[in-house]
Amino acid sequence: MPAQPLIEASGLALGYGTGPAAVTDVSFRLEVGQRLALLGPNGGGKTTVLRALLGELRPRAGTLRVAASCGSVPQTDRSRLDYPVSALEVAAMGTLSRLPWWRGPGREGREQALRALERVGLERLAGDTFGELSGGQRQRVLIARALVQDARVLLMDEPFSGLDHPASERLEALIETLAAEGHAIVVATHDLEQARRWDSVLCVNGRQIAVGPPLEVLDREVLEATYGGAIVEIPGTGSRAILPPHHHDH
Amino acid sequence: MLETLELPFVQRGLFELLILAVPAGLLGTWIVLRGLAFFSHAVGTAAFPGLVLADGLGFAAPLGAFAAAIAFTLGNAALGRGRDQGRDSIVALVLVACLAGGVLLASDVFGSGANVETLLFGSLLLIDGSDLVLAAVAAAATLAANVVVGRRWLAHGFDPGARPASRGEARLLDALLLGLIALATTAALTAVGALLVASLFVVPAATARLLTGRMRSWQLASVALVAVEGTLGLWLSVETDAPPGATIACVAGGLFALVALGRALARAPRRQASLAAAALALALLAAGCGAAGSDDDGRLEVVATTTQVGDWVREVGGGAVAVDQVLEPNTDPHEYEPRPSDVEAAAGADLVFASGDDLDSWIEEIVSDSGSDATVVDLGAGVPERLPGEDSGEEASRFDPHWWHDPRNAEAAVREIERRLAAADPARRAEFQRNADAYLGRLRRLDAGIAACIGAVPASERKLVTDHDAFGYFANRYGIEVVGAVIPSQTTQAQASAKDVSELIGLIEREGVKAVFPESSLSANVAEAISRQTGASADYELYGDTLGPADSDGATYLTMEAANAEAIVRGFTGGRRGCRLSP
Repeated sequence: MPAQPLIEASGLALGYGTGPAAVTDVSFRLEVGQRLALLGPNGGGKTTVLRALLGELRPRAGTLRVAASCGSVPQTDRSRLDYPVSALEVAAMGTLSRLPWWRGPGREGREQALRALERVGLERLAGDTFGELSGGQRQRVLIARALVQDARVLLMDEPFSGLDHPASERLEALIETLAAEGHAIVVATHDLEQARRWDSVLCVNGRQIAVGPPLEVLDREVLEATYGGAIVEIPGTGSRAILPPHHHDH
Repeated sequence: MLETLELPFVQRGLFELLILAVPAGLLGTWIVLRGLAFFSHAVGTAAFPGLVLADGLGFAAPLGAFAAAIAFTLGNAALGRGRDQGRDSIVALVLVACLAGGVLLASDVFGSGANVETLLFGSLLLIDGSDLVLAAVAAAATLAANVVVGRRWLAHGFDPGARPASRGEARLLDALLLGLIALATTAALTAVGALLVASLFVVPAATARLLTGRMRSWQLASVALVAVEGTLGLWLSVETDAPPGATIACVAGGLFALVALGRALARAPRRQASLAAAALALALLAAGCGAAGSDDDGRLEVVATTTQVGDWVREVGGGAVAVDQVLEPNTDPHEYEPRPSDVEAAAGADLVFASGDDLDSWIEEIVSDSGSDATVVDLGAGVPERLPGEDSGEEASRFDPHWWHDPRNAEAAVREIERRLAAADPARRAEFQRNADAYLGRLRRLDAGIAACIGAVPASERKLVTDHDAFGYFANRYGIEVVGAVIPSQTTQAQASAKDVSELIGLIEREGVKAVFPESSLSANVAEAISRQTGASADYELYGDTLGPADSDGATYLTMEAANAEAIVRGFTGGRRGCRLSP
């Protein structure tokens, strides 16, 4: 008998306002220490699933049980780079959700934030302005914030987009360490090769296409259903790359 | 430089600015950070219907303004719920609704456009105790909120999606921020007016942002900058005799431009600070160029509100009286913002002559705020011929305020001026009497001349249509029938509705009116439109509320009345005949 899952979804249908459903038939379990890759084309419903896990969207159908606190690691878009905040201040924002509205992080909160920055390897940049850090460093600061928040589950929205190879490897290693320490991680991604190395994949394209260990799930049929056929066989390697239709990096 | 700050009204304005620096500086950083500049500009303007209601129903103006600003904020919150994009278009939508509601209330319900100028411009020179209290309340509330929930505003703005369990709290935080902006901008309305609120709430914070990297230093710099720019602007305005609100806006805008320029020129962070210091020094240097005026010796110091009253006081007083005339020629007395020199003149005045009724009621406030104990003489109260005023609105004037267009009233006013001047300077009694007698002789000749000239026009053709109801006395004196007015009101601040205009056009065609007379100080657009529609001439301008500039044919009271008679007779006769009066 496996341990109680952190997240359990069955038959979810999700959508915005009165519009049509963005994604349907989503069913999966997330266990302690598991890394789940969320695959799908742009507009396929990846971010919608993440928002439902954060509690921002109420399911239209099905059941969603979230038994652990979830921390969001969003994409760092332009507007946030304008904010006059240091890496330490951003990490310390993680304390606010645990405190009553009139309390600030205080010294204890700042120490906790500094420890979290140490865990992601950024303690020396604690005083730097968030917007002036590199893309990979910003992602790690936001992971530190989620750690300060005591989140068991980290929800990451395309954290690898725009990162160079070394930064990408460092982030992947950090995710592996956190998973080994007992966190569960859901990553929305376009990187199919990376997803193959993880514990589980969830493919969505308006509905759930497949879920399970990558070696069992990621066959040609599933990938075509997920990405609408835009798959390129890389000659000589036997591996496949995906050309998502109208791909833009945000 | 510092004696300027010893004047009591300047001190009060300065005090108001220093208090407002706290909410303006602190909220300014949030306004810049959250992209609320348009909202903060609009919320003050949207207070318009509140001011009209307060005026019409007789409760305190700041209360009305604040209530309207809160309603505006709630309207925005309700319509903009759940959206981050498109906030500006919702602000614009609700703003238009508020302004339209205000115009309808002012024109059709209360029949007065009162307080429009307070709303749009305000004046730092007319600050009273309740304004200071309101500013202090806004300052205290903003400071408290900033200390307690500032870090939550920051965290929420930084990443709205980070804390999924607290959407209700996020909405409350937003509401608190918008509510405080509404409170603080309405508190600033009396000081700088809705149009220039951004000069305190947006520009200094945006300037400070260029020079600082962290929230706390930014907020401190922002508050300090509002205080410095406000003080500098106020002092400059007194030295150069410019309206304070606009001067502060210019100082703030100029400093922002200099700092932005300095930043663009300097790459290294060290040089930024030195360039900013240089910019500040430059601004201070420019400020130092203003020069102060000097006092007259031994002459009576007299303040006159309107151009015609100023003209009479100069005629009667001759060289023995120094006249400070508040209104410039060709400005509409219904729209007036006091300048530092007006308050200063009132502070040192021996006598103040006002035209009376609603036309220049602002003089009372200026005199009392200047700390002067000079008597305000209401010339209109003592004239023999009085026509009824308008009866709408709580504070409608009992009499039509345009009494000077009847020379018999002018005569009484001149005699009153003579009496008051003689009482203030008994040694020159005989001189004042000589001047008044000579002037009244010319006035009576002119009166007889105008009567004869207009009397030569058949009575059935003496039908007058003007811009606003300013010529009741003239018509009454010389047997002219007032058929209508483009603005059917004795104040210029009402607006003509489509129905008014179409009724007037019908009336002009039915009555065979030959001319519509625009006023020199107002825009002639509507009169010209009516002229195109009816074929009645709109070529002859009249002087209504004010004399013309020195080189015009209406530079003095006597030439103005002669020019009006000439224009009216030419209009009545299709240009065939004039009056050729030479007063």
